[in-house]
Amino acid sequence: MGAGTLIRPTPLKSSPLSQQRPPPRTPTPGYHSSNSISIPRSSTPVKASSSLNSQGDYGGPKPKRECVADWVSQNDDVVRSLPIYVGGLSLLAVLVNRTISGIAPVADASSSQSRADLLTLGLAVTNILNGLVWLSIRPKSVSAVNPEGAECQSICPLLPDFISSELLWVWESLSDATCCRSLIIVYDKRVILQIGFATASSNTHDAVVVDVDKLMKGSLYQGALKSKSQSYLANLSLYPAKSELPFLPPNTQAVILQPLGDKGLAIIGGDMIRGFTTSDQAWITLVGEKLDATLAKMNNIPVNA
Amino acid sequence: MYAFFFQICSNSIKIGLRMSGTALSPFPLIPFPADIGNKSYPLTKYPTRKLKSLAKISCSRSDNSSRSTSQQQQLNLSVLRFTFGIPGLDESYLPRWIGYAFGSLLLLNHFVGSDFSAITPAQLRTEVLGLSLAAFSIVLPYLGKFLKGATPNNEKSIPEGAVPIFLMSQNIPDILKEDLAWGTYVLLRNTNTISVLIFIQVALCVRGYWNTRKDIPKDQVHDWFEKEINKTGLFDLRETLYFPQAEELWEILPRGTRSFLIQPVLHTQDSCSDKTEMSDGFVLLASSSTYAYSSKDRAWIRAVANKFRDPRNVRLMSALLR
Repeated sequence: MGAGTLIRPTPLKSSPLSQQRPPPRTPTPGYHSSNSISIPRSSTPVKASSSLNSQGDYGGPKPKRECVADWVSQNDDVVRSLPIYVGGLSLLAVLVNRTISGIAPVADASSSQSRADLLTLGLAVTNILNGLVWLSIRPKSVSAVNPEGAECQSICPLLPDFISSELLWVWESLSDATCCRSLIIVYDKRVILQIGFATASSNTHDAVVVDVDKLMKGSLYQGALKSKSQSYLANLSLYPAKSELPFLPPNTQAVILQPLGDKGLAIIGGDMIRGFTTSDQAWITLVGEKLDATLAKMNNIPVNA
Repeated sequence: MYAFFFQICSNSIKIGLRMSGTALSPFPLIPFPADIGNKSYPLTKYPTRKLKSLAKISCSRSDNSSRSTSQQQQLNLSVLRFTFGIPGLDESYLPRWIGYAFGSLLLLNHFVGSDFSAITPAQLRTEVLGLSLAAFSIVLPYLGKFLKGATPNNEKSIPEGAVPIFLMSQNIPDILKEDLAWGTYVLLRNTNTISVLIFIQVALCVRGYWNTRKDIPKDQVHDWFEKEINKTGLFDLRETLYFPQAEELWEILPRGTRSFLIQPVLHTQDSCSDKTEMSDGFVLLASSSTYAYSSKDRAWIRAVANKFRDPRNVRLMSALLR
């Protein structure tokens, strides 16, 4: 067969990776603002251990629990409107104070009482405005949409070890750190990795196979490789070119197309509209460059007839 | 004076309402520039209108990193900010300055501007209220830092006395050298880090700004780092340590470090009864600003650290996948 034929990746029946999304990294809880380590600052002397396989635990200093940070991030709405209430109540308090003390509510700076009142009013207004700014920048929360389709984990069988381990590392990083739920890597005119969710074919309910020729003739692929830079389709439903990616689950919300040098493309599907942040985009670009460098070391893999 | 404030207030509400309705980007396909350079990503400002006063309301777009909750909600903002337009001035600290200024004016008024014998209880009440409001305003920017969607401070300041170095162990395979070089480069570029150290089994890679002792000759710097690492006992670490507001705990950390993070590189080893986590090494990142690493940054740092897991285990995993 010609060079244009795709290698049919071997679909996998069983794998140590779970059938659902790769398991979260629970062994390394790390420091989360909502889940902080509640170990007080230890003053035990630092253990000097040079044995790498020791069963001992780390005995050095550990970070303190951040109470304020935790409380604020958990009660986000309350904290945002807090300055408005504080400012508003103080405003009323100042006016009430003036009326019950029998002073006329006139805004002049003649007496020291009036000056003190004016300063307090100024502070109250600052608080109210700050509260309004916090409310106006309240982020719009978007929820994730579970992709419809079948899970698949297929990798080209003829790849050397270091390449397949790198590909799996890329999938693990993307699914752990971003909202990525599907990953397809096309290199040198064939699909070398298809992992995550994919459209299920109607008769077999297995994941559909990617038609590489059709993909490579399409505008998305051509455009991405020509511009040599990442394309971010933040809301996939708005693009008519969505039909060029039939292998992604139909309700994929966002897609990043990362070209890998001149010969490949990584298609990353996410489950949230605008789910990939600018930080994610930067990371994906750098990971794509690394992957391109690794894949370029691949010798010509013979094509299965 | 109040007219000024109310004008800003009403304009901000009007613009705020208008902006909240349009959540979609005006540019359907966002081409990502190939040369990322050292730009800070969160904010690009498009000034929309000028008021007659000093203040300028800028309309800015930012996609900020998330603090992911268990429901995995992402944050996207159309951000409205009040700014004087002076570059480098952080207006979110404005309540703090106003708090200090007005608080000191209140005290001035109490001691200098009024007759001591004639201070009424009403005035005292107002002053107490004013001082507590000033204290609250001073604390406000600190609270604002922890709200969702707060823009992180991406300016890196280089501590004095620190020199840029790039150190790598020599007797390690080339693939590992490439991975170490790439890993350190990516961590320095994409996170708010000035110094990075990766230690995997026997391989050491140090990059960024570090305070090495001047009396140590160049060829012994590698040994000095190894000795300092031994002193810290970080090989036994099994969980991520994040010190968002720490002073320098160990001599190895550069002076001027305000926050640092240690990410261990772990792999699970199946022993007869249960799985134990073995440490292959760790990644140490130091930054010159506090609260430098958001949860999104930490997730990606974990991903980079996982690149250095024991290749024997990774090969096993990929063999099982075939």
